[in-house]
Amino acid sequence: MLKLSTIDAGYGPVQALEGVSLEVAADQIVCLLGANGAGKTTTLNCISGMVPVSRGRIEFDGVDITNVRAERIVAEGVVQVPEGREIFPQMSVEDNLLLGGWLQRRKPNWRGALDRVYALFPRLSERAQQHAGTLSGGEQQMLMIGRALMARPRLMLFDEPSLGLSPVLVEQLFAIITRIHADGMPVLLVEQNARMALEVSAYGYILENGEIVHQGPAAALANDPQIQEAYLGG
Amino acid sequence: MSTIIVQAVVSGIVTGCIYALVALSLVIIFKTTDVVNFGGGEFVMVGSFLALFALVYLGVGYALALLLAAVAMFALGVTFDAVTMNRIGGRLYTRQTELVPTIVATIGLSYLLKGIVRVVPYTEEPRRIPPLFNAPPIFVGDVVIQAQDVVIVVATTLIMIGLWAFFRFTMAGRALRAISQNARAACLSGMPVRTLRMVVWGLSAGIAAVAGVLFAPKLLITPDSGTLVMFAFAAAIVGGFTSLPGCVVGGIVLGVTQNLVGVLIAPQAISVTPFFIIMVVLLLRPQGLFGDAIALKKV
Repeated sequence: MLKLSTIDAGYGPVQALEGVSLEVAADQIVCLLGANGAGKTTTLNCISGMVPVSRGRIEFDGVDITNVRAERIVAEGVVQVPEGREIFPQMSVEDNLLLGGWLQRRKPNWRGALDRVYALFPRLSERAQQHAGTLSGGEQQMLMIGRALMARPRLMLFDEPSLGLSPVLVEQLFAIITRIHADGMPVLLVEQNARMALEVSAYGYILENGEIVHQGPAAALANDPQIQEAYLGG
Repeated sequence: MSTIIVQAVVSGIVTGCIYALVALSLVIIFKTTDVVNFGGGEFVMVGSFLALFALVYLGVGYALALLLAAVAMFALGVTFDAVTMNRIGGRLYTRQTELVPTIVATIGLSYLLKGIVRVVPYTEEPRRIPPLFNAPPIFVGDVVIQAQDVVIVVATTLIMIGLWAFFRFTMAGRALRAISQNARAACLSGMPVRTLRMVVWGLSAGIAAVAGVLFAPKLLITPDSGTLVMFAFAAAIVGGFTSLPGCVVGGIVLGVTQNLVGVLIAPQAISVTPFFIIMVVLLLRPQGLFGDAIALKKV
């Protein structure tokens, strides 16, 4: 469904990605692992149109989305849940969610999507009128996922969703990702928490210094002693 | 004596409304793009000349001239953003980290517009635009209120309420607030950040033109009348630089204080008043009267 073919990207003279190829099939969770600075976030930002691709091609559902404007990529159905607390802090939780559906706003019944998000995250519906900036870290992460769902995605990209969350919240978060995936959503997951990511994924890629160095079925990667040592803490 | 003071307050409110309009045009850009537009005064000046040309060369009525000037300035604002700011802002559309280039660009805008107007014939002498209505002044006791004053106050109030409602209730207005709070997240949520920012630049230039046309009957217009922007900056700072009602309150506080200073202290002190007010506000309440509490921005 999503296909990256030998893409290069960089910031000025710094080459951040070199010949990265990866694929996400229509019913898969695929994870992209690697150390800090390996190029995981850059890869997602290339897909989302936030960082220019200097060589190679990105295709989604047969459509070439290489270096297309970010809003067009969202309109195609590729929606990223960014790393960190990328919310609209001085707006209500509900406005944050409604704005996630910006491109859907003229479609009939787009507010219906709001009810589905509230069903998935009852916590957000309790806090609908609160400023998003007053939410806890975990709630803000849920808000970003809800906001992405409002855009009616056909593929979701997650950038380090578990970063800074307590172990209990990480469990909950992965449960939610699995649940969204069970409803038929393909997912590309970037994570530092390699153990959890491999548990939920079908396939995995490992990025090192901007290049894919390993790939394979998630179970095989999890059992590979070399990878266990480098990424799973021995 | 009391009549003089009341008169000073009344005309201070009217002048304050003009400062407020120009301040609104600066603040909507700052709110949504983090850019301080030093060319804002020239938007006002070019707007009033465009209306003057429409009156003289096209022979249209005042209302149509106002409309034409506002529309033409909207187009100019959009164009400036598209050909300059959009390129400086970079592809990431994040908060303008390019602080110096954006400032230089708006200063360049200011000089460019001034230079163009100077070489256009008919601008070498100060000009005046007739008022909207030739109605006789209204007397309230001994206080005189010109019909144009009423027009200015009503227009300012309507524009402020209109902008406030736009930012609060429309999806495009909400999207613009979202962009100002987190441009990256707005981009990733599918909002057309570039297009919306162009619309804001257009709105800003259009409002500046309205200010220029409304004020022109009270003051002569020259290629240098853009210096009025200093008072608008003062009004915006008093109001907090992000608040729309703050602009209006700031403008009126400034206009009234200037006039009172002129009457009670000395006319020579009028021109230092805005700077004095800025100093007092920054000392006592740095976030301005209506500004958000100052928070360090994430770098």
